[in-house]
Amino acid sequence: MKLNRRHLLAGTAAVATAPYLGGRAEAQTRAETLRYVTGAAVNTLDPTMPGATREAFGVSVNVYDRLVSFGRKQRNGNWVFDIDTIRGEIAEKVDVSPDGMTFTFHIRKNAKFHDGTPVTAADVKWSYDRAVSARSLAAAQIGTGSWTKPEQFTIVDTHTVVGKIDKPDRLALPNLCTLYAIVFNSALVKKHVTPQDPWGQNWTKDNTAGSGAYTVESFKPGEQVILRRNDAWTGGVDGKPAPFRRIICQTIPEAATRASLIEKGDADLSIDLQPSDIDTLVARGRVKAISTPQFNAFSMIAFNTKMPPFDNKKVRQAIAAALPYDSLFKAGLFERGAKLYGGTWSGTPTDASFPQPMPYKQDVAKAKALLAEAGFPNGFETFFAFNLGSAAFAEPIAALVKEALAAINIRVEIQKLPDAQISTMVTERKLPFFIETSIAWLPSTDYFFRTFLYGPQRWNYSGWNDERIADLAGKARFETDKAKYDATCKEMIAIMAEETPIVMLWQPNQDAVMPKNIDGYTYGYHRQVDFRDVKRT
Amino acid sequence: MSLAASIARRAGRRALSSVPALFGVIVFTFLLMRVLPGDPAVFFASGPNAGQAEIQMIREQMGLDKPMPQQLLLYLRDIATGNLGRSMNTGQPVVADLINRLPASLELTFTALLLALSLALPLGILAALRPNSLVDHGVRFLCSLGVCVPTFVSGLLLIYAFYYILGIAPDPTGRLDVFASQPPVVTGFILIDAAIAGEWESWWAAASQLVLPASTMALFVLAPLARMTRAAMLAVMTSDFVRTGEALGLSRRRVVLVYALRNALLPVITIMGIVFSTMLGANVLVEKVFSWPGVASYALDALLTSDYAPVQGFVLLMAFIFVLVNLTIDVLYGLADPRVSIE
Repeated sequence: MKLNRRHLLAGTAAVATAPYLGGRAEAQTRAETLRYVTGAAVNTLDPTMPGATREAFGVSVNVYDRLVSFGRKQRNGNWVFDIDTIRGEIAEKVDVSPDGMTFTFHIRKNAKFHDGTPVTAADVKWSYDRAVSARSLAAAQIGTGSWTKPEQFTIVDTHTVVGKIDKPDRLALPNLCTLYAIVFNSALVKKHVTPQDPWGQNWTKDNTAGSGAYTVESFKPGEQVILRRNDAWTGGVDGKPAPFRRIICQTIPEAATRASLIEKGDADLSIDLQPSDIDTLVARGRVKAISTPQFNAFSMIAFNTKMPPFDNKKVRQAIAAALPYDSLFKAGLFERGAKLYGGTWSGTPTDASFPQPMPYKQDVAKAKALLAEAGFPNGFETFFAFNLGSAAFAEPIAALVKEALAAINIRVEIQKLPDAQISTMVTERKLPFFIETSIAWLPSTDYFFRTFLYGPQRWNYSGWNDERIADLAGKARFETDKAKYDATCKEMIAIMAEETPIVMLWQPNQDAVMPKNIDGYTYGYHRQVDFRDVKRT
Repeated sequence: MSLAASIARRAGRRALSSVPALFGVIVFTFLLMRVLPGDPAVFFASGPNAGQAEIQMIREQMGLDKPMPQQLLLYLRDIATGNLGRSMNTGQPVVADLINRLPASLELTFTALLLALSLALPLGILAALRPNSLVDHGVRFLCSLGVCVPTFVSGLLLIYAFYYILGIAPDPTGRLDVFASQPPVVTGFILIDAAIAGEWESWWAAASQLVLPASTMALFVLAPLARMTRAAMLAVMTSDFVRTGEALGLSRRRVVLVYALRNALLPVITIMGIVFSTMLGANVLVEKVFSWPGVASYALDALLTSDYAPVQGFVLLMAFIFVLVNLTIDVLYGLADPRVSIE
């Protein structure tokens, strides 16, 4: 090229404007980027890995697609997931046979993995075989929907898969909406399998093979994950790509720092700020909070029904009658949630939903009488435990419990235990009583009972194993008649209210805090953010 | 024998004699972690329907199903091959995590130490030259303040003032602004890497991220350094050679900075070594408040969840660094005072 004066001038102009263009491009990227800050960390890109954190679940929801997905509905003015509307994600249509036991999934013809290869029935079959066979978290979960062996899934043609179950299970389809039933690019994963690792689990920990709305741009375990939009994605409700071009999920351990970032407008979303800070933040007027009671979760005080004196029903009832519920709700949660105490019914509930307000209220005289009946007129000594990690809300509660129980002569020592230690002691049933919060992905009454109030699993905190519950929950699971299902559920709730293996306290709010121009946030079953819903207005 | 050869010989001997200590640390941490209450397998079996089978699965994955002596032997074999196990918290090999995170901690600690020294030495000397004067009291007040305020309080205060209210500090989240470009990793020290790559914008971004956490840390360790300098200087200033120097008519500056300071430095160097090691391992709170991806917060997270491999790896690393720091201190002794010999 000949260098003349004109070229030189043009070149100089270009060089001179370059920084400004760069600056503008950057500003644009910021508007199209969602910076999400959280206290916890993503530790794997494969949500089915044992030990996967909740944040890892959140990332996988946006990176992988499932055949089907939950719809959403309005609940008290907020968007929440809806287990009763199921829509296609990779599947364009699901045909359910009249007996409710055969599901035919029709895969969208234009569904493509991130590498551009089409999603086929073989991928779905391989992914579901993996979910039920591989040693991962998936098998136990989707087993609750009667999916237990590879033979249940058959390929009809390239775009059709059939799933069969033996009994009409109410949770068969909802289970396939959960983040364990993700569809992998089987050809890609198979390149990385080894004889010791037939499902490629070591590879999927740090790599993705999905078809979801986002791809992983960078993954620094424990620090941050950056997601980039998959422009070819059409799995959304409107078939359009996700609103944000880029998502930064950053781990910021200190809640106060997260709050400042949001308020200064440097970060766009956080769902785990201190409940005590939310009101002041909102009052200062720079941010908004979308507070949704976590209607599929509950906080409770669980009694160890395997350990004396808590194996005595009367002792449990006495404590349930001695607790100062309103003060607990104020001190621990600043009343940011929905109450699960003070129910007005007695005997059998009027409503079959669960969790619902249970008929517990403070009545010290009754508590004293019950304790005397139980054979402890002079009370006893015990200890109350909580998780160090949730000290912010559990510590005031523990103090109030101690004070309230002193009134009925139960002398309580408070123990703060680190995460691993308290999990171990709960599982080994060594704690007399303690406070916990738990969540069910599929908020259906029989599922709550099967998961939290019966069986050997860790989440049955009270170790309560009443044969009546086993019988009723087993029946309810396969009951197709709504009226009969409701009757069975009410019976289970009545038994639980009477036996009091746990005292339900409340459903804490999930407070999603964001600048005012962020819109569309939906509360998900996984308690994480589905970035595909969120946009900047 | 030349100085370098002598130093090398000392270093070699030191390294060799520290092997039994390191071995002891490995075995001790290994046993300690297993004695602590809390079963990591139970904690990590966190699936919505986690049962006994899943706990067993994780136990096998972490190698906890084998008898303890066998676990220890396997662990020693792994260490010999440079494998410190895998962290359940981050899902990564511990060696990789430590390699990623150690430079972050070191960069912060070095900066903080440098900052603290550049303040503590002049303050200590000033205080010693005019004992019980206003200056001395002022220094004492500043030191007490620094040591009394816990680091997470001073950290949050600094964030509140300089980021939230004044808006001059960048957002206190890690080593580099999330929107800034990361220089190619050579040493892991962002300041050095950015300088090598010539990315001065990144260098500036990283440096400004460093200011608040380094100041928080420096404030906290100002007291031991300044007080030690003052005490040592006071002792030296009344000694014979200072009097001689003054009697010979040497300038005040020369007496103080050359003859007195050099002799007063020995205890300061000792305390500096201790302060450095403490800062590196114990300043979890600073790392937490500033989301600093360092080794200390990594170890704390692992400890809370009884994640054995990272804690063991961290302790081993710290032991190793301690050995190195002690060695460096000994070498510095020799430089500060030729009479000192560690043969």
